[in-house]
Amino acid sequence: MSRSRTRGPRSLAALMLAVVVVASGCSSGSKGAGSDGTKSKSLVVYSGQHEDLTQALAAAFEKESGITLEVRSGDDAGLVNQIIEEGDRSKADVVLTEEPGPIAQLDAAGLLAKVDSSTLAKVDSRFSPKSGNWLAWAARVRVMLYNPNLISEDELPKSVLELSDPEWKGRFAYAPSGAFVTTVNYLIDSIGEDKTLEWLKGIKANGVNEQKNGKVRDSVEAGQHEFGLANHYYWYILAREKGGEDALQSRVHYVDGKDAGGLVLASGAGVLKSSKNQETAQQFMAWLADRDGGQQIVAKDTPQYPTVDGVTSSYDIRPLSELDPPEFDQGSLSEGAKAKELMVKAGLI
Amino acid sequence: MTLGQSHRSTGSLRNHAPRLLSGAAVLVAVASLLPAVYLLLREGFSYRLLAEQLSAPSTLPLVWNTIQLLVLVGLSCVILGVGLAVVVTRTNVVFPTMWVVLFTLPLGVPAFVGSYTWVAASYRLMPTSTFIYGLRGAWIVLTLALFPYVFLPTVVALRGLDPAQEEVARSLGDSTLRAFMKVTLPQLRVAIAGGSLIISLHLLAEYGALQMLRFETLTTAVVARATVLGSPEAARALAVLLAVGAVGVVALDRLLRGPSSSAKVGASVSRVSMQWRLGAIRWLLLAVCIAVVVLSLGVPLYATLLGLWGYVGSGGATVDWSLLVHSVANTARYGLLAAVGATVVALPVSMISVRYPGPVATLSERATWVAHALPGVIVALSLVYVSVRWAYPLYQTSYLLVIAYVIMFLPLAIAAQQVGVAQASSSLEEISRSLGDGPWRTFRRVTLPLLLPAAATGAVFVALDVGKELTTTLLLRPTGQHTLATALWSTTEGEVLDFTAAAPYGVALIIIGAIPATVLARRTLRS
Repeated sequence: MSRSRTRGPRSLAALMLAVVVVASGCSSGSKGAGSDGTKSKSLVVYSGQHEDLTQALAAAFEKESGITLEVRSGDDAGLVNQIIEEGDRSKADVVLTEEPGPIAQLDAAGLLAKVDSSTLAKVDSRFSPKSGNWLAWAARVRVMLYNPNLISEDELPKSVLELSDPEWKGRFAYAPSGAFVTTVNYLIDSIGEDKTLEWLKGIKANGVNEQKNGKVRDSVEAGQHEFGLANHYYWYILAREKGGEDALQSRVHYVDGKDAGGLVLASGAGVLKSSKNQETAQQFMAWLADRDGGQQIVAKDTPQYPTVDGVTSSYDIRPLSELDPPEFDQGSLSEGAKAKELMVKAGLI
Repeated sequence: MTLGQSHRSTGSLRNHAPRLLSGAAVLVAVASLLPAVYLLLREGFSYRLLAEQLSAPSTLPLVWNTIQLLVLVGLSCVILGVGLAVVVTRTNVVFPTMWVVLFTLPLGVPAFVGSYTWVAASYRLMPTSTFIYGLRGAWIVLTLALFPYVFLPTVVALRGLDPAQEEVARSLGDSTLRAFMKVTLPQLRVAIAGGSLIISLHLLAEYGALQMLRFETLTTAVVARATVLGSPEAARALAVLLAVGAVGVVALDRLLRGPSSSAKVGASVSRVSMQWRLGAIRWLLLAVCIAVVVLSLGVPLYATLLGLWGYVGSGGATVDWSLLVHSVANTARYGLLAAVGATVVALPVSMISVRYPGPVATLSERATWVAHALPGVIVALSLVYVSVRWAYPLYQTSYLLVIAYVIMFLPLAIAAQQVGVAQASSSLEEISRSLGDGPWRTFRRVTLPLLLPAAATGAVFVALDVGKELTTTLLLRPTGQHTLATALWSTTEGEVLDFTAAAPYGVALIIIGAIPATVLARRTLRS
């Protein structure tokens, strides 16, 4: 007992010392780029894209321009909420998202600066928002992933609208992701609110909610469902990881006929109004949209679609020109209050 | 002060807490309520919005799901935790020490990783089975992850109990089992209540595991509203309901504990309770112990090592050693800082709540639990909001991140310290005071050394949770910094974890979690 009494305070002192040493090395992460004036040759990028892809973009951009990108990775919605809470004191110069919804939300909150029109002119205009406040620098398409052991491709529903029919009960998986919200949004515009709500209730009753697109893929691959609704690239990522498409049980079905199940969704890039590095940020945006710049990285490092004409993906995906998606304003997605309300009403989320 | 009042004194030097102490405790409580206050005061909140969320058809089933999960996991953790504690302390089962360590190790596995490994194992072993999903899966996986929170304090309590009482009951004709149920079990009430409180609030805040296991609760709905729907207002309104739930759980815990929580534990007991010499049942219990370890540790290890094997085997893969070292160092650093921070900040609250019970003490102590029940994304956004407006230099520094950890995990430190303060008999303090030492000197020379082991236990609990934290870390970390949890997260493509590229970080996370868990087990055995 007496030994521990003398040892107590001494070990406490040692601990305190350790803490001071540790803490002193602590502020190293806070060297804020961009805060030290307009001449700064670095940008802070908040990115909802996969970190590997963003790092590849950063490395290529730095090599060409000498400008460093400090990447802060997260998921789309987390980062967008963060920027909204930061308000006009955001640390971000540029934001990259996976889906159009979240960046449209920033646009609606008035936090994005105009993108240079010469930059916007480089990409496929179908995917650009009408506001012109963000850049569609990559795209993904909604598909059906199916397991041929359970269902053949020609047995699949012709349209996602059929899925509210009892015929499909218990046979498919879905995930109430951002892309799903977009689909709902599009449906409200095309078939009206009442029919959309009915459809959502049907989905809730018939489908299995796998929560995430990645799990839709994995569960269809495992044979738990005949098919599932997801974004195309999840499947191609898995295929490359497993050493080829033949290593997988499941297959991709592209939905034709301008169906709501075949929407093409843009990944967005925007410059924050509050950024003190407007010029450098616009320089990055221009590079991101350039056929010899960022678009090459998109083509090489991810199964997402490059959005500049003439750049083709290194993945064996169906070319963008051969898809038959419905057209809509990607920027209108922030006005999805109705979609959200309906999804809550139908009990999907 | 009249003589008549002195009968209320129950051994402490004074009835009223020193101003400084109560001031500090209240300050800590108020600071820890910051995320809850943010929910109510952030512009965009209205009671109309709250009412709207409450009346949405999906809300009621979510509340019901949440309650079912709390009750089922809570009960099974108590049964498993107390049962295993009895087995290792009271029976002649082989290798009791080893079992204590093994039953503590699940604390080192983050729930979002643990649940993934179950799903991965299920895909691999029974591809088309959906056994692991829904309430059943959540019940099993979370029970196996959380039961140590009951197991550990129960082991401590059982080892500290005076065996004389049970012996008396038996001498009066009660059977061994009956004597245990009648005399010993009631004395475990504090340990069980403390453990279940931590488990309940953990469950209220749990997101990753439940999403993986496809079970929807209030918390998954809060996070889905904030992230998928992009309706932070709706998310905050629904989170208010979670905070109310936390207050309810905390109040219920108060009732369960009863008015006095003065079980005689610790220091003064010198005799060890007799062991039950079991016959054949012993082997059955051994089988149960093995089964618990296989399920709670074997499954995570199986899926992780399988992933690592596939990763290393795939040839082209390389481990990013510098990132691995960087994130191990950060995890350790943040864990240490938050543990020490929480320990220091918890002191006034644990002191006042044990030594000077009363409304101020109760409210301060109970208030610190609320943030523990809120999902990480809410805690993080509240700190983003507050620091950007009023403490900008702190924003996106490791200091703010550590502050967030302290707010989230403070109750773990307080709960552990309370045991220590209760054991550090106040009469020793009185002797010190009577010898002329001032209150501060008394605290430093008498109370603190006696309290230190319990405080260290609390610190280890905090460090363990810091290592497992993901959501808050993602939002508050300094740009470019990684912890093991964020490194693991960032290597996963396609939204779901897959232990290929992520495997090295998964293995490192489990190993680095095993160190504090082992320390905890050893401390428990020494107590």
